[in-house]
Amino acid sequence: MKPAIRGEVIRHVILIILVALTLFPLYFLLITSFKDYDQFIHHFWEPTLPLRWENYVVAWQEVSGYISNSILYATVEALCVVMLSSISAYVFARYKFPGKEVLFYLILGLLMIPPVLMLIPQFLVVRWFGLLDTRAGMLLPMIAGGQVFSIFILRTFFAGLPEELFEAARIDGANHFQLYFWIAIPLSFPIVVTIFMLNFVGTWNEIIWPLVVFSREELKPVTTGLLTFQGQFTVTSYGPMFAGYVLASIPLVVVFLFCMKYYITGITSGALKI
Amino acid sequence: MPMGGSLTASKRRSWVREVARSRTLYLLLVPTFLMLIAFNYWPAITALYRSFYDWDGAFYEQFIGLENFKEIFNDPVMITAFQNMAKLTLGWVVIRLVFPLLGAELVFNLRSTKAQYIYRVLFVVPMVIPQIVTLLLWRFMYGMYGPINEFLRVIGLGHLARGWLGDFDFALPAVLFVGFPWIDAFNFLIFLAGLIAIPSSVLETALLEGAVGLKRIIKVDIPLILGQIKLVVVLTLINSIREYQMILVMTNGGPGWATMVPGLAMYQNAFLYGRMGYGSAIGTVLFVILLGLTYLNMKYVQSEIELKA
Repeated sequence: MKPAIRGEVIRHVILIILVALTLFPLYFLLITSFKDYDQFIHHFWEPTLPLRWENYVVAWQEVSGYISNSILYATVEALCVVMLSSISAYVFARYKFPGKEVLFYLILGLLMIPPVLMLIPQFLVVRWFGLLDTRAGMLLPMIAGGQVFSIFILRTFFAGLPEELFEAARIDGANHFQLYFWIAIPLSFPIVVTIFMLNFVGTWNEIIWPLVVFSREELKPVTTGLLTFQGQFTVTSYGPMFAGYVLASIPLVVVFLFCMKYYITGITSGALKI
Repeated sequence: MPMGGSLTASKRRSWVREVARSRTLYLLLVPTFLMLIAFNYWPAITALYRSFYDWDGAFYEQFIGLENFKEIFNDPVMITAFQNMAKLTLGWVVIRLVFPLLGAELVFNLRSTKAQYIYRVLFVVPMVIPQIVTLLLWRFMYGMYGPINEFLRVIGLGHLARGWLGDFDFALPAVLFVGFPWIDAFNFLIFLAGLIAIPSSVLETALLEGAVGLKRIIKVDIPLILGQIKLVVVLTLINSIREYQMILVMTNGGPGWATMVPGLAMYQNAFLYGRMGYGSAIGTVLFVILLGLTYLNMKYVQSEIELKA
């Protein structure tokens, strides 16, 4: 073999091993979700037939409530963050007004404050507002916090848009809102989608905050739901448990399918570098 | 003097006019700032201020000065927690730098762009799985009847099988091992993008001068993607120090406090033992550590990373 070809073969072999190891938990999740106990014990490593779809029926009854809660929280949080932060970022990026620098640095300063410091006092604030064990109590602090990074990213993006476009529209009589909605947002669409996705995924994955806010089972999102779900199953019901994990992943997969293209463009173009 | 006085007065008048003229803009910023004041500024101040109190979060409160901080640095649980944090941080920074970089180099050096694309997609796939599912899967993998022990039994090393997360010696390494082979999608994509951005003329010159394989990676690639490497190191460092969500799910700090980290100790003190003041003080210590790192980052690293976008 020529050395060049040998190198290529070695690269493929290493990559295939790495991919296989990376995807193994996923493979195991999927095959086990379709097994009953017997299949699980006797055919641990390989997929089996018949597929036990009834695992999914059992799991759906357990997790559907949590999933719809999570969809609600993640969607509302991401939409609110995109709306609030794009308006503020637009104001900071395209206008001059007294106190602009001070206000912007006030927001930027919050990037220095780690979420871990905020857990206890945010809990206390939410309790003070009487919002413990409510959907608003879950959402408001997440929206507030989500804005900071988003404003920072979007402001950079909006500031880079060519002024001529805004000038031309202004001459045609466009107002603040029209400039924002018809020029700034469409031209920054990939980054806006990325911000939406990052916030959606962030809320979907949040474990600690819902753990301290909620005690009512019917309000819990998928993360804390699955933690209790795990406890309910004995060794004989790995199938339904794994089916529940798969169901909990589906909405995130859908969001990624829609947004992945923008996300990869977003991080590889350097827009998300701090 | 009268001239100067009237000048400042007129300046002030024009400033007031400016503010009045910009009132729509301020109005547009009001929602953002209302949210930030209620849920960020106020809590941040509370957290720092309550660090100096013995406080159950409700009725009992007493100012105790630096007592909480003294306790943190004398509490054996906290000392272990900070040691664990240091070990995990060091481990994570190394493996989340080396393995994604290795993956990116292998993919980058493939001839076929089609194969490059396929591997890229395959490495990014795990990203679509919610973190909680990944963590619970790994918890299962480490379990008595999980794939790791089954594998050991298959290859005849069944006597080594154990509940890895419940073992005092193996729990912390097991936490570190989660996500093996650690080709983190975000880091991988950042490195790959950096490599693709290297001008082909540079690579051709390197080839002519005999820099191939590992030699090229060390002499050419790494210096050219140093910005990305620093970015990944800094982000991993910061994320590792404040990580406790993962520990909470995997081991809840156990067995004993073998996998305790400061963030989890904060959570447990505040929400299980009702020690809001002490918890706040732990949060404050973490904040100070992160602030110091951010300062070092800005001083020595960030100035070299170009702010693109």
